[in-house]
Amino acid sequence: MAKLSTEMVSLLGNYGHIGFTFVAAIFIGLGGGIYLDEHFFDGSTSPWFTFIGLAFGVFAGFKSLFDILRTPAAKSKDEDSEE
Amino acid sequence: MEHPILFISLILEKLGLPIPHGPIGHGFLEKLCEPYMTYTWFVMIFLVVVGKLTLSNIEMIPGKGQNFWELLIGGMYDFFDANMGRELTEKLFPMIATFALYIAVGNLIGLIPGFMSPTSSINTTLALTAIVWVTHHIIGIRAHGAAYIKHFLGPIPVLIPLMLPIELISNIARLLSLSIRLFGNIMAKETLLGILFMLAGAYFAPLPIMLLGVLVSLVQAMVFVLLTVVYFGQAQEHAH
Repeated sequence: MAKLSTEMVSLLGNYGHIGFTFVAAIFIGLGGGIYLDEHFFDGSTSPWFTFIGLAFGVFAGFKSLFDILRTPAAKSKDEDSEE
Repeated sequence: MEHPILFISLILEKLGLPIPHGPIGHGFLEKLCEPYMTYTWFVMIFLVVVGKLTLSNIEMIPGKGQNFWELLIGGMYDFFDANMGRELTEKLFPMIATFALYIAVGNLIGLIPGFMSPTSSINTTLALTAIVWVTHHIIGIRAHGAAYIKHFLGPIPVLIPLMLPIELISNIARLLSLSIRLFGNIMAKETLLGILFMLAGAYFAPLPIMLLGVLVSLVQAMVFVLLTVVYFGQAQEHAH
């Protein structure tokens, strides 16, 4: 039981934040793009930086998913299965 | 919606201190008397007093109180040691263990009627997260110096203009996701409990949610600490 709950907690900790990190990355990219468009260039480049920012945000989201797969917990799990 | 009854706010109001009527006050004194501030102090006093009561005379053969703390602190120490190395653990154990205890007690205290979780305010969680975020950059800079920027450049030099913004965005996303997850979970628990108490408190309607609340409180505290440890460990290790 104790072992099960530790495993549960480590799984929750490592993979429970996937959704939130993904969405946060997209929103930060989009927000940065909108800020560049509206406040830095005073709307003269609108809507280009918004789209570029959104694209970067989406890529950052996928990259954070990729990073989560390479966290120490995922590595140690592989090692366990090899033993 | 009806106001929840908060004991500390009532006591302070009787003492003649200004209590803000919304979640955020205006004057300096009113800001100090906001419920999440007063309950933060309550949790701090609680932890100090309990620690003092159980650990005032440390013995070779531990009693009940000392045994509990030895189990808890020893478990946390081993866990940090396994995830971020002995050196960082010795340096940062007091900070992360304090976060763990504070967040766990702060989450659980909201389940008692008349109390409020200080972590159900975005101000508290954002402050905690900002400390963690700044600290993990400081660890990285101290460990690698100027080479710390390699963490943000990706593996291939040609792709640097593409990878730098992506890495920066996903790094700032940590700040957002860590704070909003803790805040959102605890605030949802508090709000749901408040609504159920108001609707059908006499028929024990909030009971199942309180059971889930215990689980959510402990899991969120653990997740916060686990991610803190993982970020510190990643900042310390070499860039890929």
